[in-house]
Amino acid sequence: MTAGGPPPGVGEAGGTGGAVPVWRRDFPYRADREDEVTRREFVRFLMLGSGAFAVGTVAVAALTSARGEPDGGEVAVVDEADLRPGEPFLFRYPTADDPAILLRTPAGELAAYSQKCTHLGCVVYLSEAGDELVCPCHEGGFSAATGEVLFGPPERPLPRITLEVRGGTVWATGVEHG
Amino acid sequence: MAEPRPRARVDPAAAVGVYVLVLVVLQIFLLTVALDGFHGYDPGLAWAAAGVSVLLAASVAVVERLLRR
Repeated sequence: MTAGGPPPGVGEAGGTGGAVPVWRRDFPYRADREDEVTRREFVRFLMLGSGAFAVGTVAVAALTSARGEPDGGEVAVVDEADLRPGEPFLFRYPTADDPAILLRTPAGELAAYSQKCTHLGCVVYLSEAGDELVCPCHEGGFSAATGEVLFGPPERPLPRITLEVRGGTVWATGVEHG
Repeated sequence: MAEPRPRARVDPAAAVGVYVLVLVVLQIFLLTVALDGFHGYDPGLAWAAAGVSVLLAASVAVVERLLRR
């Protein structure tokens, strides 16, 4: 049912002094289509959404500039003897909010990477074969030996954590972004 | 012989709506690019995405203003 205007013979409220049209008082029912959004209104809503996205993107950029890059310093990670072949060791570096993964590459060398996928930050895990770090969110893959992107949507390699072995203990000493 | 079909009228508001919708979708992509820069400690990437997003928002505002005339 529509109610686009006063029916013939029924005047607006001008003569009665009220804000509600006479026909609305006589026929106080609302129709479903009265709440429909016109195309112009829709474009206006889109404009508001567009502004919100722009503000959000600027906020993300400002946050990126403001937070800088954390420096974790030198941290003892694990005794080398406790590392089992083929099994990664998970730790936090450079801050307690940054998951990292220490592993032995197929060539037998120690390597550590940030566990955050460089696409959208999901946590990567070591593949069963031990040669790839795989992101389950969007099927991204990185080389376990170098951290370089092998496949999927990520554009940048995993940040590599530099390591030193001192007296049988593995130390994390910094982060290198590729 | 069949009668020629009358030409469909295109509502400018509808056409502009589709155009603006595409721009807004592009802005969603730019937001993900900025997040990519955030996760990768890359302010340059994030600011580039923000700049383009602001330009798109400005162009949407201009188009909306033209539509009101």
